[in-house]
Amino acid sequence: MNTRSLRSASTDTDTIQPAHLFKARVKENIKVSGRFYILKATPETGFFVPAPLPGQFFMLGLDRRKDPLLKRPFCYFRVRDGALEILYRIVGKATFLMRELREGDRVEVLGPLGNPYPLPGWGKHKKPLVVAGGVGIASVFPLLEALKGKAVLFYGGRSRDELVLTDELQGMTSELHLASDDGSAGFKGAVTDVLADYFKDKKKSDFIIYACGPNGMLKAVCGMGLRGYISSEEKMACGIGVCLGCAIKTRSGFKRTCKEGPVFDMDEVVFE
Amino acid sequence: MRSSLNKKNLEVKIGGMRLKNPIMTASGTAGYGEELSAFYDISRLGAIVLKGISLKPWQGNPPPRITETPCGMINSIGLQNVGLKTFLKEKLPFVKKKSDVPVIANILGNTTGEYAKLARSLDGEVEGIEINVSCPNVKKGGMAFGLDKKAFGKLVGRVRGDIKKSVMIVKLSPGAQDIAEFALAAQEEGADAVSLINTIPAMAIDINTRRPLIKNVIGGLSGPAIKPIALRMVYQAARAVKIPVIGMGGITTGQDAVEFILAGATAVAVGTATFINPSAPLEVLEGIEAYMSIHGVKGVAELIGGAVTGCS
Ligand SMILES: Cc1cc2nc3c(=O)[nH]c(=O)nc-3n(C[C@H](O)[C@H](O)[C@H](O)COP(=O)(O)OP(=O)(O)OC[C@H]3O[C@@H](n4cnc5c(N)ncnc54)[C@H](O)[C@@H]3O)c2cc1C
Ligand SMILES: Cc1cc2nc3c(=O)[nH]c(=O)nc-3n(C[C@H](O)[C@H](O)[C@H](O)COP(=O)(O)O)c2cc1C
Ligand code: FES
Repeated sequence: MNTRSLRSASTDTDTIQPAHLFKARVKENIKVSGRFYILKATPETGFFVPAPLPGQFFMLGLDRRKDPLLKRPFCYFRVRDGALEILYRIVGKATFLMRELREGDRVEVLGPLGNPYPLPGWGKHKKPLVVAGGVGIASVFPLLEALKGKAVLFYGGRSRDELVLTDELQGMTSELHLASDDGSAGFKGAVTDVLADYFKDKKKSDFIIYACGPNGMLKAVCGMGLRGYISSEEKMACGIGVCLGCAIKTRSGFKRTCKEGPVFDMDEVVFE
Repeated sequence: MRSSLNKKNLEVKIGGMRLKNPIMTASGTAGYGEELSAFYDISRLGAIVLKGISLKPWQGNPPPRITETPCGMINSIGLQNVGLKTFLKEKLPFVKKKSDVPVIANILGNTTGEYAKLARSLDGEVEGIEINVSCPNVKKGGMAFGLDKKAFGKLVGRVRGDIKKSVMIVKLSPGAQDIAEFALAAQEEGADAVSLINTIPAMAIDINTRRPLIKNVIGGLSGPAIKPIALRMVYQAARAVKIPVIGMGGITTGQDAVEFILAGATAVAVGTATFINPSAPLEVLEGIEAYMSIHGVKGVAELIGGAVTGCS
């Protein structure tokens, strides 16, 4: 896989497409490393993948099963040749079953959903800086591509195995900083420590931040006095704004991650 | 000629409300109609039941509010809602503009007085008012009324006096020991219909963190997991009363809906299934029509309470 192949058609447009439900068949389901896999699904005849924007997500369901019942939210890793690709990590019931999917198996998808990352206006002199933790890396691929190789990326995970596609990421960024809990790749410790170190001799206001990862990491990033956006991974049931299950606390009360998010202004979110 | 022979009569009546088909949304699973109308024409529903509202806006419970369990989910939304004023000013006009089918508001209060005030303000503004006395996710009111027969009767009687134009529906609590008694009490106090079941109090624990998966610890279980219980309660309620029963709990297909109708429901509501597919209510409707075609049923009325009792 090279950088060029990560280019998706979606970044050519910046209009939000209306979400719809479509049926698709698994084309490929391959292990990347550790517990990370990439699922590639092609829409069935009569369906298509509406072009998503970086930060948007899809709800994916295993063909109308009652258990697991609900669809699960996934960022898109890439849309290429009309197929939807999802980078996922096995964590529980649904993702465990996703691993078993074989070519030809049916899935049902709803999307694209949510609001995309606002991209920095070109000509503005803020440097984009992306922070990803764990599976948060999935939403970062389309973003890095939209940032056209200009972004600095801080990427943290449990171990070398859990830091995926680092060669590709290298080619998509101006700088790549890795951190792992066990020290098997990059800095040993939290990615936010590397980030704090980076800002020792830099002006924070020169940067615009994009962060996606577990709540603990987002909380730490939001506490660093930076400006930018975070993408929340709150659990969801419907993904379309009708259940109010995905609430996240903000300065102006609870907001729906699926509808007002998943991308929020850093200043807006209140972490407990 | 052929098509007119095949024409099925899906119409049902709930009090003075005529529904062109027996499918409704379940309160709290369709918002105020805004989001769903982006996916399908909500005028195709028999009626649309909106998210519960209270007098003042409620901010709801802290997250996590939902968790999936086998064949179901637990929620503890805590009735986050915009409050009566915004509902009347913004939400209701929108759904009325988007659809020409009956709109049913779902109300919840902490006291009898609050229920009465909500009922008075909504009377005539909406075709139906569903009194929620069965919410497991709010501290006061809610389910307290649904489990104490005396308080329940008093509440229904009092609110009845405040609803003069709209159809009054009472949403029963599945926690009731004897559901037939509550259904009967609602009928005696003048309710036009009863609906059931609301979610069932439930919990789930993450064994890794040793914490409940819902911040509020206990939430309400919905989805296919509760269907057999819901069906039993609808059956018991329908046998006890003459007023129409609106059945819900785990309906995801036309077959599920037909089961509820055979058990005695005049209409059915689709809830959690909407989270899996926004157009689930329409799929359920199509499923009912398909069943009627296959079995040569001309009208939904023929099916209501048509379950043959006694085992085969
Ligand atoms: C907007 C959004 C985008 C996402 N994008 C991706 C993606 O691109 N790739 C990917 O692999 N995952 C992504 N996730 C997370 C993904 O949705 C969950 O990992 C998935 O729902 C887990 O389902 P499960 O049935 O396997 O796990 P479950 O059995 O439901 O849970 C297993 C464990 O995972 C935890 N968990 C469940 N859901 C989440 C969640 N939403 N966030 C964090 N922890 C969770 C549970 O608390 C539990 O400890 C995204 C989530 C959101 C909200
Ligand atoms: C997320 C969620 C929110 C709900 N909110 C309400 C509500 O505001 N008022 C109410 O009377 N019932 C509410 N309910 C209960 C449903 O209307 C319905 O009675 C129940 O979910 C069973 O049906 P189902 O299994 O088809 O979902 C809610 C259910 C869910 C899952
Ligand atoms: S997931 Fe249902 S409102 Fe966001």
